[in-house]
Formats: sequence, C-alpha cells, structure tokens
Amino acid sequence: MTTATLEHGPAGSAADAFDPRSEGQRLIKAWYADLEQANERRQPVANVFVMGNAIEILRAFDFKLVFPEINSLQTGVRKASEEYIRLSEDYGMSPDVCSYVKADVGLMLKENRHPAGNIPKASLAIASNMCGTFIKWAEIWERWLKTPTFVLDLPGQRAAGWQVRPGDAQHASDARWVEAQFTELIARCEAITGRKLDLDRLAEIEERVNRMVFHWNNVMRLNRACPAPYNAMLDGLTFIGIMNVYRGAEEGVEFMRRLDEHLQAKVARGEGRVADEHYRLIFSGTPCYVSMRRLVELFETWGGVFAYSDYLTFAAGGMDATDIVYDTSRPLESLAEVTALAAHRGLSNQFFAHERLAGQIRDYGADGVVFHGIKSCRFVSSGMADTREYLSRRLDVPTLYIESDLIDPRYWSDAQIKNRVDAFFEALHQRGGGPVGRKANEERRASA
Amino acid sequence: MIHVAGIDIGSTYSKAVLIDEHGNVVGRGVRRTGFKLAQASEAVFDELVANAGVARTDVTYVASTGYGRHTVPFRNTQLTELTAHAHAAVHLFPDTRTILDIGGQDIKAIRVDGDGRVKAFRLNDKCAAGTGAFLEKTARYLGLTTDDIGPYASRSTNPKPVSSVCAVFAESEVISHLASGVPAEDIMMGAMVALGGRAVQLMRRVGLEPGYMLTGGMTRNVAMIKALEENLKDTLRVAPDGLGQLNGALGAALLGLRRVQKLIAEGRPIAAVQTPADGEHAKRRRWSAIAVRRTEPCRGDGCSVATKLQPRPSAVAA
Ligand code: SF4
Repeated sequence: MTTATLEHGPAGSAADAFDPRSEGQRLIKAWYADLEQANERRQPVANVFVMGNAIEILRAFDFKLVFPEINSLQTGVRKASEEYIRLSEDYGMSPDVCSYVKADVGLMLKENRHPAGNIPKASLAIASNMCGTFIKWAEIWERWLKTPTFVLDLPGQRAAGWQVRPGDAQHASDARWVEAQFTELIARCEAITGRKLDLDRLAEIEERVNRMVFHWNNVMRLNRACPAPYNAMLDGLTFIGIMNVYRGAEEGVEFMRRLDEHLQAKVARGEGRVADEHYRLIFSGTPCYVSMRRLVELFETWGGVFAYSDYLTFAAGGMDATDIVYDTSRPLESLAEVTALAAHRGLSNQFFAHERLAGQIRDYGADGVVFHGIKSCRFVSSGMADTREYLSRRLDVPTLYIESDLIDPRYWSDAQIKNRVDAFFEALHQRGGGPVGRKANEERRASA
Repeated sequence: MIHVAGIDIGSTYSKAVLIDEHGNVVGRGVRRTGFKLAQASEAVFDELVANAGVARTDVTYVASTGYGRHTVPFRNTQLTELTAHAHAAVHLFPDTRTILDIGGQDIKAIRVDGDGRVKAFRLNDKCAAGTGAFLEKTARYLGLTTDDIGPYASRSTNPKPVSSVCAVFAESEVISHLASGVPAEDIMMGAMVALGGRAVQLMRRVGLEPGYMLTGGMTRNVAMIKALEENLKDTLRVAPDGLGQLNGALGAALLGLRRVQKLIAEGRPIAAVQTPADGEHAKRRRWSAIAVRRTEPCRGDGCSVATKLQPRPSAVAA
C-alpha cells in the first residue's frame, strides 16, 4: 500500500501568498473553459455526480467530466438560477422537485448555455444510488439527450452504529460487488473510447487522489483549531468544489497542498476567519448557494463561525476518512475497496447520523448545530427533525433550524431567517454560550 | 428619574411601552406599522411620550424589537422579539414555561426557563395560514373588521372547519362555504379553530410544558382564546390591563432597564436618545436587507447586542 508523498514542507511565506478563494475561482473557470472545447475536440465526456462516481476510471480513459450538480449550483452562485428553474417549471416540473434537477432541465432547454460557458454533451452518465434523485435525473438525460446511463449500486449504512472495517468479510464482499460493476463500466468505457484500460494510468491517478485526500483530511482537521482558520460553509465550499472537480488531477493535488500549508500558517499565527470568534458551529445539510454569503454574514456578525459541516463529507463522496488510501499496486481492486468505504462514509453522515454528529460536536468544539432544511432535497432534510430532537433533548446541544433552498432565490426570506439567527444567538448568549470558543479565545489572548 | 422605552416594530402593528426604574408601565402606544418603518417608530414613540406625559428627552434608554428593530433610528439596543417575549412573560407570570405569540405575519412558540431565558423556539413556516393575517383575510371576506371577529365568532353554534394549509386556498374554501349557505359566524369560528390547531401544533414542537401564556394582538380576541384553550385542554394566561399586545415591547423595555442599571452600577455613560432634526423622517429610506446590513450592530453606547444582553451570573456559570 502506498504511503508516498505524504510529506509536506513547513508553513512559510509561500503559504501566505496563496489566496485559496481566487485560486479556486481560477481553477473552476479553467475547468469550464476546457469543457467548452470538449465536443469540438471530439473528447469523450461523462456526466458524474459528486457522490459515488468512479472518476478515477473515467480519468484513466481521458473523459472530460461534467458535474451537473456543480453546474446547477454555479447558476445559483452566479445569481442566474431563477431563470433556469422557471424554464423547467414552465415545462411542467413541480416546485417541490430538487432545484438542482430543475436548473439542469432549464440548462437543457437553453441548449446547454450555462453562465460559465457551454456545457458539452456527454457520451456516458454515471449515476448511483447515493441519492434516488440521481437516477431519475440520469433518466431525463437518457431520454432527452440519448446519453446512456450507468448506475452504480453502492453499499451504504445497514444499521445504526454499523461500521465497515477495511478487510473484514462484509467489506470484502461489498468490494467484490463494486468491482464487478467497475469491470462492466470499464467495458463500456472501452467501447466508447476504443481504448483498453491502462492500469498504470489508473494507478497514477489514484496516487494523486491519495495525495489530495491526505491534504483534504488535514484541511478538515485544521478547522478544529480555535479560532477556526476558515468558514466551512463559505471558504469550505470553494475547497470542496476543487476536491470534486480536480480529484485525481495534478492541479487538484497542488491546490490542496498549498491550501493545507496556507491554513497551517494561519493556525500558527492564531488567525481566524472571524476576527473575534465567539461561537463555533456545525452546519448540517446542503448550502443555499444563492444566499450563502448573506447567511454566513448573519452568523459572523455575531462572531459565529461554521467550523465543520457534514456537507464537506458527503458532498465530497465521503473521501475524508483516514483509512481511504489507494493501494496502487492493485489499482482496480483497491478502487473497489475504497469506493465501498467512501460510499459508506458519505452515507453514514446522512443515515443514522446522530452519533456521528455528536462526535463532530466534540471534535470541533462546537457550541451548537445549525440545520438547513431544503424541502426539495429529501435525502438530506428528511431526518433533520429527529437528529435535532436527539441533540437538543438528549445532549442539550443548542440547535437552530432554518429553511430555504439550494439555489432557488424565491425561498430565501431574509427577515425571517435573520430573526431566527438573531434569536438563536441571543439564546446561546443567555445560556452563557460559546464556552469552547470563548475559553480558547481568552486563553489565546492571555498568552499573547 | 429613569424612563426606559421598549419599541416593538411588528409587521402589522408598532407597539411601545414606557417603564420607570421599578419596571412599572407608565405609558403605551400602538399604531399600524405601514411600510415606512423608521417613520412608524418615530410616530409610535411620539404617541408613547404623549401618553406617558413626558418629553422625549426624559427617556433614558430605548430598546427596540420586532422585525423592524434595526430601523428604529434612536434605539440604544435591539433584540429579537423572542427574547423580549420570554422576558416579559416570566416577569408577569413567573411560572410561565410555554409562550404562544400570534402576530400579523408570523406565529411563535417559545419555551422558557424560570429566569425568562429562551430554551427553545419555533416559528411558523413560510406560510401565512397560521397567522393573524389569515383571520384578517377571512374577516375581510365576511365583511367584518378585525375588532368584530371575536364577538361575531362567539355566536357560532357549529364551527365549520377550514382545512387548507394555505391562506390563499383557505379563502376559496371560505367562499365555497358561504355559497353553500354556512352561517358566517360558523365560518369565522371554524377559521379560529383551524388557526388554534396550527398554533398548538407549533407549541408541541417546542415541548408543551404547562404554564401557558398567550401574547400578541390575539389576546384581545376572547373567542380565539377559547378555541386555543379547547385545543390545548388547559388555560392560557393573558397579560392584564391590555398588555398582551404590548408584551414584546414590555420585554424589550425590561431588558433595557436591566442594561441601564448595569451601566449605572459600572459608572458607565448612557448615550442620549437621539431626537431627529426636522424633516429627517422624510429622508429615511425604506427598510431593506441592505439597510439592515448597514445599521447593525446598533451603536448606542459602543457595544454590540451580544455584550448588552447581560445574562445573570448563574446563567454564565451554567
Ligand atoms: S442529494 Fe438532494 S440536492 Fe442532491 S440530487 Fe439528491 S435531492 Fe437533489
């Protein structure tokens, strides 16, 4: 099993010069620009989701990767989502359908003209059972665009407290199940590209993913520091974008390496995302990309920072587990083993999530949990009431529930959300809130 | 002589209460908010000082609350109405544990502890069907004024249920009931029963802890209180002397008074309550999200709300 390339240099001035946000934006722009050329250059293109996607295999065949979820959220970030969503509603889609799907249907109705550039037509779509909507979504492409679908059936959480241990009988049989599907997928890719799978190429890609995941884990861990060097629901969204789009690419490794260095330097200087960090929070659920900056601002006004979000785990396909390292001497088997682990990890953040969330509250020294419910995303939102009940009644952890949408601006009600956020902080303050964050801040000041 | 004003700029009504240093209510004011929030706050403040028989300059401190709390130009501090309601409720009835506030555009359930601290809260979803606006709409269809609603519904012998979860669809239901000859008082009472059901459901979501209190404009509506109590199978406390509608403003004033006492005890100055120059009302822009961003946190005496809302020492230690 490879453990190479896990070393990294000391945090220094090069780390300071790195601006993760602008570098992240540059990379996303470059990725869209590259996609625009794909059909013209006759490059194979695949649609993939952020959870359960076999990117490593596709990269080995030089597929250009389209992430429809990221296309949809980018319409939100660029404040153009409403137009796309309305088009799909004019077509007949209900307001209750996942707005990522609707923005994508709007994109098809606009003949793939996206605010970031033209999106190429795909010759293959990989869906998975990680969210049932993926399969329905792929079905639309298959019918409208004749894009053949390949659905991966990935094993996930079986019961509360169920643990998958690398190498145990259950994991071995899960991995075999996944590997059989990969073998079928490889045959499909070979038919599309007219090339045989190059296992050395796959191993190289996996090697890069290993390095990326190593830094990604560090990035997640570094936010346990107080003050937190970044906001998981603002800066973190840029990081996860790179983690998904550039997984297995050298640019992705470099970004994560520099980010890791940059954040280590920030932590060493005691520099937080929020100047005076009072409250450390966990965000559970999917973001409201269309108003995320405003939402974060509502919390930061009170000195509240999102130190962690389960979104950073499940929407990166569950890649932030320390035991996720590819054995590049057995690239295909190892890919299947890791995929089975990552799927489990990603799903366990959503199913039977109570204990895991309780652990994250301890790990990140959180003063409370903010749930962001989205009516159209049942995968993430259905269990929130129950998890919330568990945290507030059983563990006495303050929680806040707010509701809007992923990218539909019509669901954002500023005054209502602000009122809930302000009342949450007033209640936190009244109960003597922010003990962890405040104590750490005081200690830091005392030692300064 | 200390005078502290609490000003609650709600979506439908603006309410104001003036208290003295002992927490006694010495003045009050209520008026429709309209769409010019800064002007509404000035007007209700003028009404308040006139009612109390004091000058604006006699007011030591102003605490604002409600949706328009950021738009009160002369505020010293601001806080949400959830915190304000909780504090006033326990001040008036120390054994209050669950509060229901039915406002014009929202409805809140708040669970509090014995010190008036918010333990849990829930607000209605983004639908008006569980709010005062729903009743007002129904009344308007039946040709009634808001004040007539209660006495009119009290005559009902067979309330007609209104089942829709949407205020707009509920209106169509009302029309169809009227068309099929259902007496208007039964429709009105049916609307109240529906509202009561939704309100009690919201209370369940914070946990029904006995010691119930109703606040807001609905406290003036005897039929509504009855509908709620029947659903709750318990009694609801209502603030005496017409203070129910003013509960949020009273809570803000009481928390403001606590702040003043702390400033005095620490020998720190209290910033004077500003009086706008002539014509300044007209210059103020309408409230918007941008305005909110520009005006917070409030700048009264140089500290943010977080530091102004001082918890009791025991709470900090807990
Ligand atoms: S997880 Fe939620 S947002 Fe993503 S595709 Fe499924 S329903 Fe849509």
